[in-house]
Amino acid sequence: MPHPGWTDFSFDGIGTRWDISTPSPLSGALRRRLLDAVADYDAAWSRFRPDSVIAAAARQPGRYTLPPGASDLGQLYATLYRLSGGAMTPLIGGSLEQLGYDAGYSLRPGGPPLPAPAWDEVLDWQGTVLTTRAPVVIDVGAAGKGQLADLLSAALRDGGVSEHVIDASGDLVNTGSVPVQVGLEHPYDPARAIGIVSLGAGAICASAANRRAWGDGLHHVLDGTTGAPVRTVVASWAMAANAMTADALATALFFVDGFRLQQEFDCSWLTVHSDGHAEYSADFEGVLFS
Amino acid sequence: MNTSLKKSVFVSIAGLSLAGSAAGCAPGQATGTPGTSAAPSAAAGSASYKDGTYSADGNYVSPNGTETVGVTLTLAGGSVSDVQITQHPSNPNTRKFQGEFAGGIQSQIVGRNLNEIKVSKVAGSSLTSGGFNQAVEKIKSEAGA
Repeated sequence: MPHPGWTDFSFDGIGTRWDISTPSPLSGALRRRLLDAVADYDAAWSRFRPDSVIAAAARQPGRYTLPPGASDLGQLYATLYRLSGGAMTPLIGGSLEQLGYDAGYSLRPGGPPLPAPAWDEVLDWQGTVLTTRAPVVIDVGAAGKGQLADLLSAALRDGGVSEHVIDASGDLVNTGSVPVQVGLEHPYDPARAIGIVSLGAGAICASAANRRAWGDGLHHVLDGTTGAPVRTVVASWAMAANAMTADALATALFFVDGFRLQQEFDCSWLTVHSDGHAEYSADFEGVLFS
Repeated sequence: MNTSLKKSVFVSIAGLSLAGSAAGCAPGQATGTPGTSAAPSAAAGSASYKDGTYSADGNYVSPNGTETVGVTLTLAGGSVSDVQITQHPSNPNTRKFQGEFAGGIQSQIVGRNLNEIKVSKVAGSSLTSGGFNQAVEKIKSEAGA
């Protein structure tokens, strides 16, 4: 619980644990609205269920309409696809499946790493409409959780609860007037932190190669140009005004230098590399333990 | 907002608007590295300045009010060859807007136990759902680990 006296509303959604803290308990109606928003997002974007829009697009090419947020998500991905030279891509689903992170969690590679198809060859993403020229597995996990956190934050605001802290299992949104002290989880030891950052109004998202890992160097942050897991950056954090941006940037930091990202996004960031050194922007000055 | 701040600082530098109290930087009088404390303004300058290093404080208006940033520029061959910007934000929020001008590297991260530090949240990669966890356990047991 981020603040004494606050109440927590916890639930599972899109494959992870959520915790929403508010000054007073949420009404039953508002809780249902939040859970509905989570269910709708899953029904559209999940590649782990056969009845989603994404699963349909994986079976055959066509024209697919996604929820309103798809417009912002598409623009964000387009920018990061460009900045990363194609390493960060929404078309990474096939590469993940190839290494075993498929809908059935086989966790067994089906063969060597498979690069993602080039965006302009198979996908036309205009607003909320995706038109595909081939069956493709779209995975927006790099930014989707952040976007869902933003949607829940908006729903809370609409429901009159302007002050809240949303914890989507390590990705955080704080809209309250009191900053939250956030420990940065050690990439190799979840019982330890490598620093403490103060989160004011805004979001902080983390990406790391540790949890969704299934042996022999296989983890879930893949380079779309090779289909292989990134070996250099092992953990990243990004702070931005909204969670979708912070989430996407945390992933982008695995492929793009943070100072480069700062030229196009208002953000602060920190990356930990496989040799144990860390790089960071000015706002993370003094955050790391030494 | 970052980008427009940077642009406005650079634009005023490009205009060489280090006017104000001209005594210390009058054309032809500069010796070596004259410094002035005049704030850059939007005044157009037609005079040419001697090569050297000039310092000034620039002002800009942030959502938190007027802020200053230190600017040092080097003239060589009549044009700006280098610009250094130093932060001195008066408001903690302003550091966010000046943040893109600084950063750092630490050669080695150091871990501390979570129960020894005072945090109310932890930011790390997401906990995985039951399906993934079960699959990992299955793999481990099949591998005889």
